[in-house]
Amino acid sequence: MATAPAKKYIGMPLKRKEDPRLIQGLAHYADDIALPGMLHAAFVRSPYAHAKVRSIDTSKAKAAPGVVAVLTAADLGTSIGMVPCAAVIPDMKSAARPVLAKDRVRFVGEAVAVVVAEDRYGARDVADLVEVDYEALTPVVDPEKAIAKGAQTLYDQHKDNVAFRWELEGGDVKKAFAQADKIVKQRMINQRLIPMAMEPRGVVAEYKAGEKSLTVWSSTQIPHLLRTQVAAMLGVPEHSVRVITPEVGGGFGSKLNVYPEEALLGYLAMHTGRPVKWIESRRENFQTAIHGRDQIDEVELAFKRDGTLLGMRCRIIADLGAYYQLLTPLIPTLTGLMICGLYKIPAARVEITGVLTNKMSTDAYRGAGRPEATYIIERAMDVAAGELKMDPLELRRKNLPSPKEFPYATPTGLIYDSANYQGAIDLLMKKVDYKKLRAEQAKLRKEGRYLGIGISTYVEICAMGPSSAMPAGGWESATVRIEPTGKVNVLTGASPHGQGQETSFSQLAADMLGLDPEDILITHGDTQVVPYGIGTFGSRGTAVGGTAVYKALVKLREKLSLIAAHLAGAEPGEMIIEGRKIYSKKQPKKSVGFQDCVTAAYVAKSLPAGVEPGLDATVFYEPTNFTFPFGAHLCVVEIDAETGDVRLDKYFAVDDCGNVLNPLLVDGQVHGGIVQSVGQALLEEAVYDDQGQLITGELTDYAIPRAADIPWMTTDRTVTPSPVNPMGVKGVGEAGTIGATPCLANAVADALAPFGVKHVDMPFKREKIWRLMHEGKCAAPAASPSSRSKPKAKSAKRAKRAPAKPKSAKRRRAR
Amino acid sequence: MIPSSFDYHAPKTLEEALRLLERHGDEAKLLAGGHSLLPLMKLRLASPRFVIDIGRLRGMSYVREEDGMIAIGALTTHAEVMASELLAQKCPLLSETAGEIGDVQVRNRGTIGGSLAHADPAADYPAAILALDAEIVAATSGGTRTIAAREFFVDMLTTQLRHGEILTQVRVPIQRGRTGAAYKKLYQPASGFAIVGVAARLSLGANGKVESAAIGVTGLGVKAYRAEAAEKTLVGKKPGEKEIANAAKLAPRGIEPLGDLHASEDYRREMAIVFTRRALEAAAARASGKAK
Amino acid sequence: MKLSGSVILSAAPEKVWAGINDPVLLAKCLPGCERLDPDGPDRFKVAVSFGLAAISGKYAGSLELAERKPPHSMLLKMEGKGIPGFVKGQGRVELHAKGKQTELHYEGEAQVGGMIAAVGQRMIEAASKKIVAQFFEKFSAELSKKA
Repeated sequence: MATAPAKKYIGMPLKRKEDPRLIQGLAHYADDIALPGMLHAAFVRSPYAHAKVRSIDTSKAKAAPGVVAVLTAADLGTSIGMVPCAAVIPDMKSAARPVLAKDRVRFVGEAVAVVVAEDRYGARDVADLVEVDYEALTPVVDPEKAIAKGAQTLYDQHKDNVAFRWELEGGDVKKAFAQADKIVKQRMINQRLIPMAMEPRGVVAEYKAGEKSLTVWSSTQIPHLLRTQVAAMLGVPEHSVRVITPEVGGGFGSKLNVYPEEALLGYLAMHTGRPVKWIESRRENFQTAIHGRDQIDEVELAFKRDGTLLGMRCRIIADLGAYYQLLTPLIPTLTGLMICGLYKIPAARVEITGVLTNKMSTDAYRGAGRPEATYIIERAMDVAAGELKMDPLELRRKNLPSPKEFPYATPTGLIYDSANYQGAIDLLMKKVDYKKLRAEQAKLRKEGRYLGIGISTYVEICAMGPSSAMPAGGWESATVRIEPTGKVNVLTGASPHGQGQETSFSQLAADMLGLDPEDILITHGDTQVVPYGIGTFGSRGTAVGGTAVYKALVKLREKLSLIAAHLAGAEPGEMIIEGRKIYSKKQPKKSVGFQDCVTAAYVAKSLPAGVEPGLDATVFYEPTNFTFPFGAHLCVVEIDAETGDVRLDKYFAVDDCGNVLNPLLVDGQVHGGIVQSVGQALLEEAVYDDQGQLITGELTDYAIPRAADIPWMTTDRTVTPSPVNPMGVKGVGEAGTIGATPCLANAVADALAPFGVKHVDMPFKREKIWRLMHEGKCAAPAASPSSRSKPKAKSAKRAKRAPAKPKSAKRRRAR
Repeated sequence: MIPSSFDYHAPKTLEEALRLLERHGDEAKLLAGGHSLLPLMKLRLASPRFVIDIGRLRGMSYVREEDGMIAIGALTTHAEVMASELLAQKCPLLSETAGEIGDVQVRNRGTIGGSLAHADPAADYPAAILALDAEIVAATSGGTRTIAAREFFVDMLTTQLRHGEILTQVRVPIQRGRTGAAYKKLYQPASGFAIVGVAARLSLGANGKVESAAIGVTGLGVKAYRAEAAEKTLVGKKPGEKEIANAAKLAPRGIEPLGDLHASEDYRREMAIVFTRRALEAAAARASGKAK
Repeated sequence: MKLSGSVILSAAPEKVWAGINDPVLLAKCLPGCERLDPDGPDRFKVAVSFGLAAISGKYAGSLELAERKPPHSMLLKMEGKGIPGFVKGQGRVELHAKGKQTELHYEGEAQVGGMIAAVGQRMIEAASKKIVAQFFEKFSAELSKKA
């Protein structure tokens, strides 16, 4: 109907509308909520990884002053349902989580009782008075030992700890390997991580008995799904539950879930008749918010002599933890789907074993299965380049589909929408003088300085997604309402929590309606205000949520054009909406002010026939496919041979996320994602000791990257619009963590090449690297609390004699 | 922070603080900048019944020249020590060390007295305090006494301070002649504490040979210590590359290293050697005027 | 966490053996011991308060003397829990005559859980060694007194 909108704000690097309130401390988080008569909850949590609960004595706690309620699983009975899991895999064993453990605890931090008291301090004090008698059971910590014969099982009703086995095969894998000139194998570990949102979880619940209405404020990424699930868990009608997300201080997937505390707080509000608040401590966040990654991967690539890929096999052991959270079993299957990366691999086979262990559940953490896939293929390609004696970049270029081959079907059953992988690599090479870097590296090696150059290319799966592939629908909703004074309310079913869509959606609406971003208000995260939505995760906010907004705006543009054409005596199909005017393209004098048109819609005295009053449009947008953003990254690290310290010196990223609404937001996502990758590559590891104790249980021991760890990042973009949605956008929320992790790992392996190192597992902690560089000079490995965090002697093949010998290193007696 | 309940006192004078400390005995803990005590209280690893907040005592935050030494009030923050012009000119090792502590927030709140009294085995100050042969002044209601740095650190989290005593002042000597000093540290990436930290101070004679050497090492063992064997071997020698390397090898001698998931005993020991060498090299370069 | 070591005690193995089996003496030597009451044969109820500067915690639990082979060896089993977490461990104690003295060798393993495991890692081993050292220092002194 109306002609295409002018792009005045779309594509502009507008500063975020959200930031002034966030920076000035004017934002309201869950902990800022204070309601009259509000009580505070505290949880009694298991210090054991695996134990029977013999008895719980709450008498002292109940007698303490200020205590309103102390509840255990026995007190709850069947009042609250199990924690929901939306993922279904054939023959999957049950591992449903109760909101409070009844007779057995299965990870450190699992709640066994909840205390409600008049104040937060009192609640915490009283929690210490609850006496739980545990009978320790053998903890199941190592996933490989967990599936060995005779291992202690987590569940008495299951004969072993294998949660499921899942296979995926496309093409003739046997033939590919039979025909191969070269087969490259590598085992690698994608270590367990803690998402570490700056704001921990927090829930407030209020029950109004008169109205029978329950309101739950929760720091979540999925308000509507949470409402449905909490209502189901509590057995109350969904329309009597309202979920509100206050400001959410980061999620990274850790708040894409339904947690016991969310249902319990609702129950407690109903049970006590007073509002109840619970704010997670950092320590609880470490132990009881979902963890990410945690896979052991064994990959094999089959090549022709010239480096052409023929096939791929990968066996994955995924440590799921003790229970299924919302998407736990699904995450490793995403690794399976994306295992081929952006390469033309005619045949691929993936076997996944999901394993139950006495740890917190793993689930979607920024990238959710795709960083693992990219890491597997990109590390393996570098290992292969070494074995084929080819430059890693050359090997990559040799195996890419050309832009003409899109849409491109993978052997894992996906259809990649659009890409120009060569274009991204070409642009990266314009930013970087690759030959010069290699020359510098060679020169410095002679001086005993170890530079590593890492390259990674990636494709990821975004815009989740078509409903056919999603457990609970993959569409998104939007309502756009132009109010009588011309101000615009946009209600989105997405639930931004740092992504900046209050800004980018304002830019979109401003251009589509010929207004300014200040005229637009974006509202989200209130189930009583916003039509049902799916939420923000899987890099879907803009590509799915934004498209819904776009489509609602298109509807309104059509209506505005009809009314304006009617008022101006013009043809609706030729109306242009811009600069607060709606006018005819052919006869610009036939023009109506935007406000006049809006007023006409509301006073409804002169509307064209068949046009309803008001200016309000709601859309439920169902995407036809995922989108597949891609990119090419390069980084340079230098390793201090004396300490093993890895310093990131340079980072170059070229990403293609299709069309861009706000480049500043895209840069922010790329920067943040790269930094989070630096975390995984260099610093982070959730370490459980052999008793299942999380010994990286606070920020004093779990290192996350800081500003000083990050050099200047050079970022750029190619733009390959997606054909999947009308805006041609793809998504960028997770690209950084997907593309950057293998880039950093490849750089470190490259730096260690003179030491004969083929592969080393993340995180590249100093001592581990130092040992690889000084093999034989210091006998025993570190007394490491977990076998998983030991230097990987098996995977690291080293030269007999390291080329550089720091003066200080000498043979030491084993202790 | 949700600690156990405690009684809070905020005395206005040192005398009042000492009286409170005497009255409450070992059920009381002193709170200065709060960067050692509060994390423990937050985790409920420490649950003192009485917290005596000495952070508001007046006149205990200063850096001044006194009797040929630099006197630093116990409540002087790391940031203040780091930024002190007087220290930069007359005892740069201390300000350099302060600049290596934790992060900006820690440096803005943490105090020199609090850090020393807590005696974390991986704290930075003890290395410098030892290398400087500093004096620590402690007060009781009966008066004050001065404790030599080398006597001060007794064991893990344990110092010479007795119940009822408050650390009031740290005194460091003015750097004179051809002296150079440096603090070099390997960070624990999460906490910012030292895996190892080495403070070295070298004085050279007119002939360019080492007249005196002082090396304080933190992070390696249960308490910071002076690497005496390494010091001795340097005296009378020109601090060349080889001499320094040989001395550094002696730095961990006699110490049983701590180990944790960030650094094993072996690695810590090797890093003590590396960082002693680096600190000595920097100190030597400064002493000979080759570097600032 | 593993702990091992040996101490030379200036008393004959029989005397040392008697000492280890004497709850009153054990209670006296165990740092921070508030209670050590018999709870069946070779079993005691224990309450201790361990402190290291600002860090402190009270633990209650049990101590069991098992596999006793007087005056040569025994297995010490202990279990305790408190608000900061729990400790569970066992250690073998062996006595060897060395002239008029006794060499006591101990080797044990302990598991810690809860808060102390999550954040105390850096110092817990050193603190444990210190507690053991303090115990033997006192124990040795007490034996000498009795001699």
